[in-house]
Amino acid sequence: MATTMQDEGKQTPVIELRDVDKHYGDLHVLKNINLEVDKGEVLVIIGPSGSGKSTLCRTINRLETIDSGQILIEGKPLPQEGKELAAMRAELGMVFQQFNLFAHMSILDNVTIGPIDVLGVPKEKAQAEAMELLKRVGVAEQASKVPAQLSGGQQQRVAIARSLAMHPKAMLFDEPTSALDPEMINEVLDVMVELARQGMTMIVVTHEMSFARRVADRVVFMADGQIVEEGAPDEFFDHPKSERAKEFLESISGH
Amino acid sequence: MSDATTSMRDALYEAPGPKTRRRIRFWTFVSLLLVAWGVWAIIRRFYVTGQLSPKYWLFFTRWTTWRFLLQGLMGTIEVAVTSGIIALVLGLLLMLGRISSNRVLSAVCHVVINFFRGVPSLLLIYFFFLVIPQYGIKMSSFWMIALPVALAASGVLAEVFRAGMNAVPRGQTEAALSLGMSPMHVKLKIVFPQALRMVIPSLVSQLVVVVKDTTVAYVVSFPDMLQNARVLITNYDALVSTYFVIAIIYILINYGINQLSVYLARRSGTRIVARTSENPM
Repeated sequence: MATTMQDEGKQTPVIELRDVDKHYGDLHVLKNINLEVDKGEVLVIIGPSGSGKSTLCRTINRLETIDSGQILIEGKPLPQEGKELAAMRAELGMVFQQFNLFAHMSILDNVTIGPIDVLGVPKEKAQAEAMELLKRVGVAEQASKVPAQLSGGQQQRVAIARSLAMHPKAMLFDEPTSALDPEMINEVLDVMVELARQGMTMIVVTHEMSFARRVADRVVFMADGQIVEEGAPDEFFDHPKSERAKEFLESISGH
Repeated sequence: MSDATTSMRDALYEAPGPKTRRRIRFWTFVSLLLVAWGVWAIIRRFYVTGQLSPKYWLFFTRWTTWRFLLQGLMGTIEVAVTSGIIALVLGLLLMLGRISSNRVLSAVCHVVINFFRGVPSLLLIYFFFLVIPQYGIKMSSFWMIALPVALAASGVLAEVFRAGMNAVPRGQTEAALSLGMSPMHVKLKIVFPQALRMVIPSLVSQLVVVVKDTTVAYVVSFPDMLQNARVLITNYDALVSTYFVIAIIYILINYGINQLSVYLARRSGTRIVARTSENPM
C-alpha cells in the first residue's frame, strides 16, 4: 500500500501527527503537536521532564489516547480499538523505560511470544529467528534464563530484540536508558545506533544528548506540551534558536 | 516463604540489643511456664471428670473405627476437592467477567461475587437442601454440599484473583499490547499467570476454608468425616475423645495444605522475585 502512495510523488511519512491535543484534567499535556517521521528517519525528542515527550511517544501506538487531532501510520489513521488497533500495534515496536519483559517467561519466550501468538509464525522458525536476534543484541547465552536474572542493560537489549522479532515498520523508544545504571547505558545505545544505521525508522525519547547528536536525523525539543524547536542535531545543539532550548541545554551542560 | 517472613520481621522490628534479648528470654520462659500449666490443667480436668478412662479411648485401637472414620475422610476429601475445583474455575470466570470492559457483564459479575461472598455458606446449603428440591430438581447429598460450598468460595476466589491481576505491574500489559495481542489474550497469557503466583498463599487459605466448610455436610446427611464422627459419638458415648481425634485430623489436613502452599510459593519464588526487582518500590 505504501508503494501506491509513493507513486504520487512525495513519500508518505511512516508516522504523522496532525494537530494533536491531549489533556490530563486541567493539565494540557500535548498542545497542537504536528510531526512527521519519514521512512528510515531517526527522530530524537528531548526536553525537560514533564514536557509531554513520553506522552507523545505513547500516543503513537495508543497506549495514551488523544483528545483531538489525527495520528496517521503510513497515511492511514491509527485505529481506535479492536483487531485493527492490535494489528497496527504489531507493526510498531515499543521499548519502555522499565523494560517490561514478561517476568514469568524465559528470555527466549519473551522474544518468540509475539511472532508465535500474534503473527502465527511456527515455533521452530520463531525460536531460530529469536536466537539470531538475541545474538545480534549480545544476550544469546542468556536465552533460557528469566528476566530477573539479567542486568538492566541486558533486559533492555532483550526488550529491543522482542520488538524487532515483530519486524516493525518503526520503533518507539520511551526513555530506554533512564532506568539503567550508568555503566549499562552504552551497551543499549550501541544496539540502537546499530539499528539506526541499518535504516530503522525510530522515534527516541531520551536524555542522552551525545546519542541525539550522533544518531538523530532530526531533533525535536519539547517544553510544556509544545514542540518549541526542531532541526538538525548540530544546528540545534550548537545554535538553538529559542530561549527555552538555550536554557535547557545550558542547564544540562552546567557540570 | 520463610525468607519472606524473616524479611517482614526485619522490616517491622529493629534487631534487638543485649537488654532486649535478656527481656525476651525472660518472657519466653514465663510464657512457657504458663503454657505448661495450661496443658497440665486441661489434662487434670480430663482426669477428674473421667475423660481419660479407657472406655472413651479403647475403641480407637479397633480397625473398624478407623475404617469408618477414613470413609468419612474420603467423603470430606471428595467434597473438598470437587468444591475446590468448581470454585477455582468459577472464581476465575467471575473475575474475568468482573474486569471485562463490557459494563453489563462486569456489573452482573460484581453483584454475583458479592452475593456469594456475603451470604453464609450454611444459608446456601439450606437453599440447595430445602428450596431447590421443592422445584422438583433431584440432587444427591454430595452435590447439595459440594455446590453451595463451591459457590461461597468462588466469590472470594474471584476477588483474590482480581487483587492478583491488579497487582501485576501495568507495564506488563502495555508491553503485551504493544506486541499486538488482544486485551483478553494479554489478561490470560501475561497477567493471569503472574497474578496466580502472587495469590497462591491466599488461594490456599481459601482451600482450607473449603475443607472446613464441608463439615456442615451433616445438614444434608452426607457422610463426611464429621458426620461419621457423630455416629461414633452416639455409639460409644465418647464425645470429647472423638472430637479430640478428628480435630487433630483436620489440623493435619489443613497443615498439609499450608505446607503445599509454602512449597508452591518457593517453587515459583524466582519468578516472584522477577516481578519485584523489576519494579523496585
